[in-house]
Amino acid sequence: MGLNYYQIKKNILRARKLVIKATNTAGSGHPGGSFSMAEILGCLFYKYLKFDPKNPQWEDRDRLVLSKGHAAPGLFSNMAVAGYFPESELETLRKFGSKLQGHPDLKCPGVEFCGGSLGTGLSYSVGIALAGKIDSKDYHVYTIIGDGESDEGQVWEAAMTAAKYKVDNLTVFLDRNFIQQDSYTEKIMPLDKKLETDNISEMWKDASRWKTGDKWRSFGWNVIEIDGHRVEQIDAAIAKANTTKGVPTMIISRTIKGKSIEHMEDNPAWHGKAPDSDVVPIINMELDSQFMIAPSIIAGDMSNLENEVKRCVAGRADYIHLDVMDGQFVPNKTFDHTKIKELRSLTVLPFDSHLMINEPLKHVRDYIDAGSDIITVHAEVTDESSFGEIHDLLKQNQVGVGFAINPDTELPEWSYKFISSLDQLIVMSVVPGKSGQKYIEETHVKMARLNTLLKENNFSGYIEADGGVNLENIGSVFADGARAFVGGGAIIGQQDVRAAIRDFRTEVLSSRRQLLLDKANELGGIELVNKWIGLHVVGEKQEQIKKIAKERGYL
Amino acid sequence: MNEPVMTDMRSEYSKALIQLGKENPNVVVLGADTTDSLKTSGFGKEFPNRFFNVGIAEANLVTTSAGLAVSGKIPFASTYAIFLPGRAVDQIRNNVAYPSPPGKKGLNVKFVVSHGGLSVGPDGGSHQQIEDIGIMRVIPNLRVFIPADTIAVSKLTSLMANEYGPFYMRMARSKTPLVHSDSQNFETGKAITLRDGSDCTIAACGITVRMALEAAELLQQDGISCRVLDIFSIKPIDGTTLEKAARETGCIVTAEEHNILGGMGSAVAESVSESYPVPIKRIGAQDMFGESARDKEIPLLLEKHGITSFNMVKQVKEVRSKKL
Repeated sequence: MGLNYYQIKKNILRARKLVIKATNTAGSGHPGGSFSMAEILGCLFYKYLKFDPKNPQWEDRDRLVLSKGHAAPGLFSNMAVAGYFPESELETLRKFGSKLQGHPDLKCPGVEFCGGSLGTGLSYSVGIALAGKIDSKDYHVYTIIGDGESDEGQVWEAAMTAAKYKVDNLTVFLDRNFIQQDSYTEKIMPLDKKLETDNISEMWKDASRWKTGDKWRSFGWNVIEIDGHRVEQIDAAIAKANTTKGVPTMIISRTIKGKSIEHMEDNPAWHGKAPDSDVVPIINMELDSQFMIAPSIIAGDMSNLENEVKRCVAGRADYIHLDVMDGQFVPNKTFDHTKIKELRSLTVLPFDSHLMINEPLKHVRDYIDAGSDIITVHAEVTDESSFGEIHDLLKQNQVGVGFAINPDTELPEWSYKFISSLDQLIVMSVVPGKSGQKYIEETHVKMARLNTLLKENNFSGYIEADGGVNLENIGSVFADGARAFVGGGAIIGQQDVRAAIRDFRTEVLSSRRQLLLDKANELGGIELVNKWIGLHVVGEKQEQIKKIAKERGYL
Repeated sequence: MNEPVMTDMRSEYSKALIQLGKENPNVVVLGADTTDSLKTSGFGKEFPNRFFNVGIAEANLVTTSAGLAVSGKIPFASTYAIFLPGRAVDQIRNNVAYPSPPGKKGLNVKFVVSHGGLSVGPDGGSHQQIEDIGIMRVIPNLRVFIPADTIAVSKLTSLMANEYGPFYMRMARSKTPLVHSDSQNFETGKAITLRDGSDCTIAACGITVRMALEAAELLQQDGISCRVLDIFSIKPIDGTTLEKAARETGCIVTAEEHNILGGMGSAVAESVSESYPVPIKRIGAQDMFGESARDKEIPLLLEKHGITSFNMVKQVKEVRSKKL
């Protein structure tokens, strides 16, 4: 389909919601493993896979083999989003007479492999890859295997066969979520190193303990190791795998079972259990409240932006905000597309180019070519015609579309028709042009006004808060509806970028928990509040949420 | 009876594969480190890019074949009988027999194994597969053949390539006597009446077919007219021919080198008990394993399990006395 970063994320969110709906309706199913591979499937379906939902047997299509078949709800949800069948059909999951069986089945056109018996999908994929070679087809086989099923000896039989026959038309993802049915993988059958305690975070902390990649390397595979929830890393890994010749590729993807829902994350109980109906609306709200944090590098050392980019990467920023100022639209001048192009090779992190320049239509092409993932232009210097052209150009080039308004600007009426296809709206909370300003408090009121307008016009992108966002106000900015946060001095100005970003996340998370507690209370009173809190059994989450609940007067 | 002409099933299988390979570019062959023994390596020399040796990895053999089949290939997967149904039944069921593309039943994989039954000989009980028919015929969509001679091997190999769906065909290790003529026609689910008779029927498959013909000769000397059926197609089984035999001869003896539980004899009994119940006696391994026997001692091993023409004669006489 070739969608941009933001559209891919949007579809992933849609698919996650469908997983919840489907498993809840069915009363059983596997949400945990569906969520750990959600970003992998999203990248495949909406960017790389060649397929035609109207002609599922198209012989040149790429093949997607879900070896860990129990994650069927994840596969079916994405197939629905991709257009194979209506989303409403997910309500038939696991029901008598449905083509959406408990495990993926050829009964459902578009499904390539009958999953269910673990450890067999890789051999099957090798067979498909070999057939492609015999017929000189250029289709690619993408396969997702689980870490639990890697206990099966057949996985390693297939690993040897794939290397022997050099099936470079095969790319495999290991959904390394560390959990299998009984418990943590490292307790049941260690792939890396035996887990000595009950604390899975012990495994996460120390990358030197990771041995799974070495296993695959020793089997003769091209191995790439990534964070399996980072769309940009998955994207880059697939691109690399697709151009690797002579060997199959294994992308070891570190993932979190139940990712995106706090009470499901890292919790073995959610391997194969459906959420209760009363909790579903809270879960959906949590899914709608995913957020991203980005440093703005102009707040750092302007004479060494390369180093600032590196600090963002090491600090695990979600993306990098690039403030382009031309000295005309705003008094200051920063850098232009040539600098962005130079920085592009340093990282795969998405580049959010915020053009504070006059006549953006004249220059937008340069910023596309420089490698921006999203380009934001200002309402003050565009009109219906020029923005329309910019909008179309960006969409055609798989670049996200952003629109920005200054503190004293309202959304112009001409822009309403674009709202539903915007990937991002920047609501400036300082006067653009220089860093180090204070957050303008009136923005809170403005946000309330905007939210109504955006809702009426079906906005489904990110609201980005830009200007004066810090640890003190980020919680309230989240409560206003912002889901992307740009930090200047408060992040990049700090010695330890990683700690600063972690603190930002903690604050937003706390604000999100408040929001969800309020939702639980609104829907089911104290009983549901208690039930929801009780679901958080892994780590220190429950204690933290209880503290917030006490402050809110629920406990 | 004349001295039989002895021929080798694996050589015939190899020849048939190479012929198929020339006729149909979609035919591919897979092996698991037994390709010289199975003689499938001949196909590999002829068509190296359509031949895959996956090593001693039978599960992988089965599932890789499934992947090739779902992509339009016609894989013939071969190794010893003991290592395929016995070891990879899950893959045979879940990766080949179960997955059904729209309008089809199962994937188009052909399992052809050698070294079936007790006549494997010296390798001993660990290598004598006497459970495969029972294992394979309970799996939906899968069809099961046991050819009696090389003519059957050749014709069934070609039949399987041209008929969609999963098949299992079990060959014997040792050379086998020719019992069919070159003009014999083979159809899935159709038994072959090799000799007509009115007093009793012997239903046989594989190496017991020749024994049944010898038994019928001996019975003839005692004035007993014995019908002989080659039940090469154990699934689907030929219910029509069996019902006719039951009705016209009144009793049936079955003989196979397989456990009497679940094998061809069981399949015959299941069919006849529903269509036209008559007394039946099953000859085969009496729910016990085999053991080593040098080639020249294989008749002794078979005799220990009652798999001889003399025992067939004896059982025919007994079962006739129970006629309704």
